[in-house]
Amino acid sequence: MALRFFPLLLCLFSLVFGVARASNPAEVVSKAVLLEDKTEEQISLIQSADPEPQLIALLTLWKEGGILLLEKPDKQKVPVRLEDKKDADDKQAAFLLDGHPLLNAAGQPVRLLASDLSAAETDSELRSAMKSILDLSGLAAPDKTSRLQAVETLGMEQNPARLPALRGRLAKETDAQVLHGINEAIALTEIKSADPETVTSACRTLGDLGSIRSQDALGAIAKESGPQARAAQDALRKIELHLLYVNTLGTLFRGLSLGSVLLVAALGLAVTFGLMGVINMAHGEMIAVGAYTTYVVQCIFGPGLELSPFGLHLSFPSLKATGWLYESYFLFAIPLSFLTAALAGIALERFVIRFLYRRPLESLLATWGVSLVLQQLFRLTFGANNVQVASPSWLSGHWTLNDVSLGWNRVFVIGFAIVIVIGVFLLLSRTPLGLLIRAVMQNRSMAACMGVRTERVNRLTFGLGSGLAGLAGAFLSQIGNVGPSLGQSYIVDAFMTVVVGGVGSLFGTIFSALGIGMADQSLQQILGNPVLGKILVLAGIILFLQWRPAGLFVTSSRSIDN
Amino acid sequence: MKKRPRLELIVAGALAILLLVVMPALNAWAPEDSLFYVSNFTINVWGKYLAYGILAISVDLLWGYTGLLSLGQALFFSLGGYMIGMHLMLMIGKLGQYKSDLPDFLVFLGHWFLPSFWKPFSNFFFAALMVFLLPMILSSVFGYLAFRSRIKGVYFSILTQALTYGASLMFFRNDMLMGGNNGFTDFKFLLGADVRTAATQRVLYIFTGLALLAVYFGCRWLTRTKFGLVQRAIRDSETRVLFSGYSAANYKLFVFVVAAGIAALGGALYVPQVGIINPSEMTPDKSLEAVVWVAVGGRGTLFGPILGAVVINALKSWATRAIPDLWLILLGTLFLLVVLFLPQGLISIPARLREMLRRTKPAPTQAPAPQNPNIPAP
Repeated sequence: MALRFFPLLLCLFSLVFGVARASNPAEVVSKAVLLEDKTEEQISLIQSADPEPQLIALLTLWKEGGILLLEKPDKQKVPVRLEDKKDADDKQAAFLLDGHPLLNAAGQPVRLLASDLSAAETDSELRSAMKSILDLSGLAAPDKTSRLQAVETLGMEQNPARLPALRGRLAKETDAQVLHGINEAIALTEIKSADPETVTSACRTLGDLGSIRSQDALGAIAKESGPQARAAQDALRKIELHLLYVNTLGTLFRGLSLGSVLLVAALGLAVTFGLMGVINMAHGEMIAVGAYTTYVVQCIFGPGLELSPFGLHLSFPSLKATGWLYESYFLFAIPLSFLTAALAGIALERFVIRFLYRRPLESLLATWGVSLVLQQLFRLTFGANNVQVASPSWLSGHWTLNDVSLGWNRVFVIGFAIVIVIGVFLLLSRTPLGLLIRAVMQNRSMAACMGVRTERVNRLTFGLGSGLAGLAGAFLSQIGNVGPSLGQSYIVDAFMTVVVGGVGSLFGTIFSALGIGMADQSLQQILGNPVLGKILVLAGIILFLQWRPAGLFVTSSRSIDN
Repeated sequence: MKKRPRLELIVAGALAILLLVVMPALNAWAPEDSLFYVSNFTINVWGKYLAYGILAISVDLLWGYTGLLSLGQALFFSLGGYMIGMHLMLMIGKLGQYKSDLPDFLVFLGHWFLPSFWKPFSNFFFAALMVFLLPMILSSVFGYLAFRSRIKGVYFSILTQALTYGASLMFFRNDMLMGGNNGFTDFKFLLGADVRTAATQRVLYIFTGLALLAVYFGCRWLTRTKFGLVQRAIRDSETRVLFSGYSAANYKLFVFVVAAGIAALGGALYVPQVGIINPSEMTPDKSLEAVVWVAVGGRGTLFGPILGAVVINALKSWATRAIPDLWLILLGTLFLLVVLFLPQGLISIPARLREMLRRTKPAPTQAPAPQNPNIPAP
């Protein structure tokens, strides 16, 4: 029977004891602040208090100079904090540390001038004591990121006094990543120890963990002599291997994602240029059409949008969506970007390109004219500066797998590229429209003789190519800037991709996009210089075309001119 | 058919006298308040137009006569400009911001001595030689690779575009030691003469005009030889030329290298007059702009490109001041309309008008053609 009451008793006991010891955090901090110059007493006071969230918040405030001292007429000092908002006389509402407003003798809230008050001072000793309390409290934080961060700072401190706290957390922690971090922090602290055996085993642990941030500390030990130096050297070798592995994987991932971006941008071109033989220099602007459509959709879901090109007034209503509805704007933006760009492409085909099928060089020039006009239209409509397209929260952030960081938006682009490649493949090979497209592209006059309306097929094919560019725009808006010259930055690369892949071959485009993406990123990694890497890739492409003038995958033809 | 070339010669001669003799003379000797006074600004602007005219001819020699749409001409043009720019930078001497013998940007980048490749450029004749040599070497290497693997048509355009793009990326870098983003500017002396004075500018203008004239007649001669015939044959049907036993690649390579040299000459004359050269001059867009001049003026003629360069640039000077927002739309639309409806350019307008007149008024000596309702009018 007595056992049933035991926890209750314990509870009561600790409650009473706690109150007796230090009452609540606001009081502790107030008391500590008022002790002013007696640093040692201040430290012992704040260290004895329970590290609950309110105490942490108040200590942070104090450390940043947010706690001010008000001197009353009777020379008694009161610690206060001020509201952020200032009124017309620059006065701010004052609060006591427990959150209650500061009242004057008449019971009215007091407003004070910040310049009349002095900040509660802290010296370096006190600040380091505060910092250690704050860091230790981070260890128990409910969210994983703050825990990881706290573990990291504690590890870098290399302070043996932190070991008990870290070991304590090690026993409770369940998350594998944090566990990894704690082990690393413990080992990192232990290599400072005087006992050579502890140092040796800590070095071994760090090597096994592949701890990148312990390289400097290990380097210092490796210069000494004895078994611990050998262990440190071993560990450094292991870490270097790990680093190589991380960098290689990171480069592979970045190459894959850059390749996917190129692929998405070039796939539309592979249809218009590859299948139809039309050089559409305005392809980049079709990408921009898609990106701007995404921007408009985002504005409609969010704050609304007012545009006034040429004195016209365009007003887009606002849905004032918030939360998940706002986050889902991107799902609506994807099909809309496809549609807008496809319609723009169909108009372009109808009014310009139709007349130039027999003159490919001139279609290059005419569409360049179109691209100039479109760029200027964007500039006049949306302004010359980049517009802000916010990524939905489910596209920002990243995974960190074994020190390799994978951005969600990049992962998404890779997945998306796979989806649209499959989609285009199915469309071309499994649908009646695809059959017609292939028939017209292979032999236009024969298809016309069989009753295919080739003009209509041309228009739809061009619409498809432009729509794919629009999709690319929707995705590029998530990983880069959206501005009037967005298209220009992708057009040269996109043409290169198609030419290297072999004009007329979708598979060639896939291989060349991934190849160029990988080559670009690896060269960047090796040379440590993005521009030089890009120049080398361009030079490499020119040399590659020496070896295979028609690209990777050659579509065979009996015509001598192809 | 024989009348037109003579007419063209007369027009060219008259324009040459007007631009090369009358305008500089009026600039030098007419009183400033007279009606006939030509301002220093006008001379400077026309000097720029004429340098562009040289670039336009180089584009036309490739595109109009050989069917090679090169988007690399702006690269060769600015390379020529950069070569003379290096000499001009070294001639500034201690008059720069940092009072150093080194060009300002090198001091700014923390260099204490001149990089070795800069040294010979203090000699004007070496710089003048490099104006031609470097672009021609680059074009012969690139052309050899491209034509050997039979890259033609739009592929050639795309590759030259990539070449230009790559080069501009390179020149934008500071560690290229070619002035990076800002390029070269603030020139002071050329062959001992102060380039900022009106008299020097006038001499530069006359030299540009003479160079244009020389390029014009040189290309005129070249396109009328048997070589020119093969050139046009390549444009019209390359396979037939190949099957007739000509090595089309060698012909194309020669034209490509010559055109690079011409473009570089234009650039070298352009830079001292404009007073600045930076990598934004060598973007693919600049090449396309030069192609616009040729298309608007009339390709496949030698007079057309010059006309196009002058007309479009005069229009640009006016429009970028009067309607800055609409200039690019105007340029794009103009280009679109010319490509769609006037493929032979402005120069073909008189011939077209004559054709229309001939059609509406049948010659009186000709018997009226029998009317056949089944055949629609052409």
